Amino acid sequence: MTTPVPATPKITVLVCDDDARICDALCEVVDAQPDLTAVGVANDAATAAVLARQYLPVVAIVDVRMPGGGAQAVRALREHSPDTRILAFSAHNDNGAIEEMRGAGAHRYLVKGAPVRQIVAAIRELAGSEADEL
Amino acid sequence: MAPHPSPSQPGGSPADHPSPAEIQHLLERNIRDHAIFMLDADGHVLTWNLGAQRIQGYRAEEALGRHFSVFHPPEDVALAKPERELAAARVEGRFEDEGWRVRKDGSRFWANVVITALYDDEGLLRGFAKITRDMTERRAAEEALRESEERFRLLVQDVSDYAIFMLDATGHVISWNAGAERIKGYRADEIRGRHFSVFYPREDIAAGRPEHNLETAMLDGRVEDEGWRVRRDGSRFWANVVITALYDERRRLRGFGKVTRDMTEQREAERALTDRRRLLAHLVRAQEAERRRIAWDVHDDSIQEMTAIAMRQQVLAEQLPEPYAAQLLELGERVNEAIGRLRTLVTRLRPPGIDRQTLAAALGDHLAEQAAGWGLKYHVRNRLEQEPPAEVAVTVFRICQEALSNVHKHASATTVTVTLGNRGQGVLTQVADDGVGITDPDDLRPGPEHFGVIEMRERAETVGGWWTMSRGAEGGTVVEFWIPAPTTNGAPLL
Repeated sequence: MTTPVPATPKITVLVCDDDARICDALCEVVDAQPDLTAVGVANDAATAAVLARQYLPVVAIVDVRMPGGGAQAVRALREHSPDTRILAFSAHNDNGAIEEMRGAGAHRYLVKGAPVRQIVAAIRELAGSEADEL
Repeated sequence: MAPHPSPSQPGGSPADHPSPAEIQHLLERNIRDHAIFMLDADGHVLTWNLGAQRIQGYRAEEALGRHFSVFHPPEDVALAKPERELAAARVEGRFEDEGWRVRKDGSRFWANVVITALYDDEGLLRGFAKITRDMTERRAAEEALRESEERFRLLVQDVSDYAIFMLDATGHVISWNAGAERIKGYRADEIRGRHFSVFYPREDIAAGRPEHNLETAMLDGRVEDEGWRVRRDGSRFWANVVITALYDERRRLRGFGKVTRDMTEQREAERALTDRRRLLAHLVRAQEAERRRIAWDVHDDSIQEMTAIAMRQQVLAEQLPEPYAAQLLELGERVNEAIGRLRTLVTRLRPPGIDRQTLAAALGDHLAEQAAGWGLKYHVRNRLEQEPPAEVAVTVFRICQEALSNVHKHASATTVTVTLGNRGQGVLTQVADDGVGITDPDDLRPGPEHFGVIEMRERAETVGGWWTMSRGAEGGTVVEFWIPAPTTNGAPLL
């Protein structure tokens, strides 16, 4: 953190995906935005819980499939950091997967392949409208 | 008719008994079943009764005085049979015969005849008593029984698909038929009198199986057994055996009826079918496993990699000046499109969500995604009491996919209804539309252009199920298919 502290604090983002390439790309997307910052990367549900408690991120991006299960990761995040808004992000686009994540407490659902602009907009939306539900 | 006793002659007094003349009159008037009459010493009719009139056809005034040879057929008369009958009765005291006799109208009846010589106290022959009974009906009944028994014997004897034979009460063969000879290889004269344990393999004899079977048949009335039996040449065959204990009317064991069928071929055929099914099921499982593996590879590797690349391209595009930024964004779009196509491929390889949700829900997803674009209304009726194993669900889903695609392409329907239910040990599925229906009989005939009919049917039949397409009761087309669902204790599923 060598950059000067901005007037408003950045939106903190936790990235949860078991694929390192996706994590790297998401971090790059987030950090390229002046108002967003990636605070941590979790490759499984257990790590997601630990990092959620540590950073209390504003937004967490969570994959459906990861060790421990995406839905379990969402539940752990909601438990350890109840104010964190959750963006489910998955290559699955079937109702079963969407329902599973929604049932666990995810607020938004984006399918992998969505344009970066949409991802960034979703993060900002979630950070700005904390009362919004999916 | 007995005379009524008068009040002055109380019952039991000697006057109650009819006189000998009355007795004769009563006998003549009342006995209907037997012709009872007297002949004089030369054979002329002296008396007549109602039975004689009924059986022989002559009234008393016609019969009296006639020689009794008129009751015999001409051929017997020519051989002097009537005279010989009287001579025999004279010498022996009594003569009995059974044979044809002739009525007044010339018709014949089968008669039982007893002629008794009547000697007086001085030993003089006074004549003969003759009692004749019409046995025609009884003879016909006996004849019918004999013929029926004979027919049954011939039937049993000539049946060649079943060995049908009898054992005595101790298990020795007492009858044999063609089927027994064909199946077991023994001729009747070789096997009669031998104990039926010769048909059993040595290990079964040692285990007491023949005796056990007879005992069970005696206790339960019958026993059914299936197992290896031995032919005369020592070769074995797989037999279905039914042994029935035969009791007479006094509940005494008279022996056993034994019916044996050679089931070797059926058993082989069944086993071959089972083997084939198992092989096909294995192939289907292997195919699905491979598809799933490829689907997951595409999903876990290609799609992730391309997603990452597309995201980084877009980030990079924002940092580059034009025209590079636009070019990079365009490339990124194309990568995203490719990701979409790969996702469709994964869907085709492995129906989405089939591992995560119910079959009905997976079909619902599929219809929600497709039907709107096709302008179709849809219903999914889920009557499954239990969720089928994953591989069965995949097969049902795939056939539904094809059937729904046909509805879209050919039916011009507005509504389609998918109904799922359990039937026997499997899943029965119906895809019914309200479209144009089958208009051409050729539609039912498989052909390259015919609606993927072959593919659907093969999918169903490969896993041991069936598939059919017909015109709906209220028009439209109905595709119906049944896929067997093995129980959970069967072959392991993926």
